[in-house]
Amino acid sequence: MSDLAISTLQTQVKPERSAVGSLRIVQTASILVIALVIVSPLFMLFVASLKDDRFQILADMGSFRAFWVSNPTLSNFAEVGNLSGELAFGRYLLNSLIILASTVGAGLIVNSMAGFVLAWGSLRGRALILSLVIALYVIPQESIIMPLVIMVSRAGMTDTFAVQIVPWIASPLYIFLFYQFFAQLPKELFEAAQMDGASVFRIYRSIFLPLSLPALATVSILMGIETWNQYLWPILVTQTDYARPIAVAIATFFGQDSIYWDRAMAASVLMMIPILALYLAFQRWFVSSFVGSAVKG
Amino acid sequence: MASVTIEQVRKQYGAVPVIHGVSMDIEDGEFVTLVGPSGCGKSTLLRMLAGLEDISAGEIRIGGRLVNDVAPKERDIAMVFQSYALYPHMTVAENMGFALKLKGEGKVAIEKRVREAADILALGPLLDRLPKQLSGGQRQRVAMGRAIVRHPQVFLFDEPLSNLDAKLRVTMRAEIKDLHQRLKTTTVYVTHDQIEAMTMADRIVVMRGGKVEQIGKPLELYDRPANTFVATFIGSPAMNLFDGAIADGQFVTNDGVWLPMPADYRGAMAEVYGIRPEHLTIAENGAPATVVVVEPTGSETHVLVKLGSADANLVLRDRVDLQPGQPVHVAPNLPKLHLFSAQGTRVN
Repeated sequence: MSDLAISTLQTQVKPERSAVGSLRIVQTASILVIALVIVSPLFMLFVASLKDDRFQILADMGSFRAFWVSNPTLSNFAEVGNLSGELAFGRYLLNSLIILASTVGAGLIVNSMAGFVLAWGSLRGRALILSLVIALYVIPQESIIMPLVIMVSRAGMTDTFAVQIVPWIASPLYIFLFYQFFAQLPKELFEAAQMDGASVFRIYRSIFLPLSLPALATVSILMGIETWNQYLWPILVTQTDYARPIAVAIATFFGQDSIYWDRAMAASVLMMIPILALYLAFQRWFVSSFVGSAVKG
Repeated sequence: MASVTIEQVRKQYGAVPVIHGVSMDIEDGEFVTLVGPSGCGKSTLLRMLAGLEDISAGEIRIGGRLVNDVAPKERDIAMVFQSYALYPHMTVAENMGFALKLKGEGKVAIEKRVREAADILALGPLLDRLPKQLSGGQRQRVAMGRAIVRHPQVFLFDEPLSNLDAKLRVTMRAEIKDLHQRLKTTTVYVTHDQIEAMTMADRIVVMRGGKVEQIGKPLELYDRPANTFVATFIGSPAMNLFDGAIADGQFVTNDGVWLPMPADYRGAMAEVYGIRPEHLTIAENGAPATVVVVEPTGSETHVLVKLGSADANLVLRDRVDLQPGQPVHVAPNLPKLHLFSAQGTRVN
């Protein structure tokens, strides 16, 4: 190849390379900005929870000092980590964990069973029920909350754990998620199990449920976050500390006269830990579930 | 082991009939193949036998017992699926022992039966593996193992070799036949591959459009097909068929080609002249034809010729030196001639 030809080729290639380089810089910068926007409040929260002066926390909020602590202390955590007493945040955390575990545990069983029956059961009017389930999904929770409050008060369920668990176990969204997952499993698996002598419940329990780890992980995380962040419902149905969750308890730091930023920050950090642990435990299947659904359409 | 009786069985999906009154008797220990093109209803019939599809009308009996309304698990049959349908989260041993576990058999008994089945199918070293760690052939053997471990009265196979490559298919074909010869369990085997049907079955049921076209032993179907559909479906390359009429003691094709007739059938009402490729030879005193394609396979040579405007296949055992475009003369082996009416029914 002649020198002229090579130089012509180089001039054609160079602008393309520089365009790719610029694109990468823009991409990296964009990712950094997004990461900063997401991570900085969390970091600020964690730093503030280690400061013992609530007025200092408020003063630092408008500057970079919000991201720095010179004398870190765990005293806020010690104050809010009690299981009894005025600041029994350990107790509230435990309440939230009981509600979370019960709702998610029961929710996985009930919603997966419903999804399985809709996908594989010999139920008359399956299509109609499925349409109703999808239609129910678009109704916002807040719109049914007052009738629900009246129902649970008449049933004498207020101020209990049950009232915070039972109404939220079955969910149209999670039934539909399980339905979609089960429906895409091959028909032959169901039929092979039938030929092997399995009942419909046994097929669900021994074949389909063990194969639905991605769906179980997805529903666990989504349902866990939803349950953990419940605020309006517990305020309406709890009057005492007996079954009150941590999300409601934290709000008590934000009084009319003063705000206890130090304790609120420590309690918020405590509140984040279980849900982060849940996500980290299931994230592998959670991500694969979303990737799988994208690939399979 | 048990006999199977299918009597006037019909199947409709809504108003659409797909099986039109099929009847057949399958003897105890017999290997019967249901064969036909896609959509002929062979898999639907098998699924009705398995209890996976409802029967719209008619009766199915297994071992003399009417099973129309009996659940699949109560029929004492085992089925091998085209896609194997192995449980992905269970090991080979767990897959094979699942049915026995559901029956409430003890752990020791299950292990013994699984080990026996694994020995028959050479699956011993694979028992702790998951299905995803197996090749296609091994998965197929596990699917068969899952069936034989139950000692069922009837085995059902739904196109079990369709997902395998050609070489493995031949090996597995022999394995299934060998397995049947050893176990002597009544077997109903669905395939669209007529070679599979011919090589494996004691009897073949040829189906088309939800009806049985012919039932018989493989060579009976080959030598005396009941109609032009069976004649062309069984055998590869397919039987040569020429439309025409008998005139002056010979058969004249619609193109005006004269073909010889045996003396016995010169008065027959035949309008289709059929001859298998291996029964058509190159002969000096035959009908004039032109070579189109020559395909040497080693053991034999396939030759496509034009006989008038019609195509005709020849399978020659001898190696021949023919060139495309070369004029030749072809002659049928008259005792092997097949004559059909205009409706396609055999007349000789």
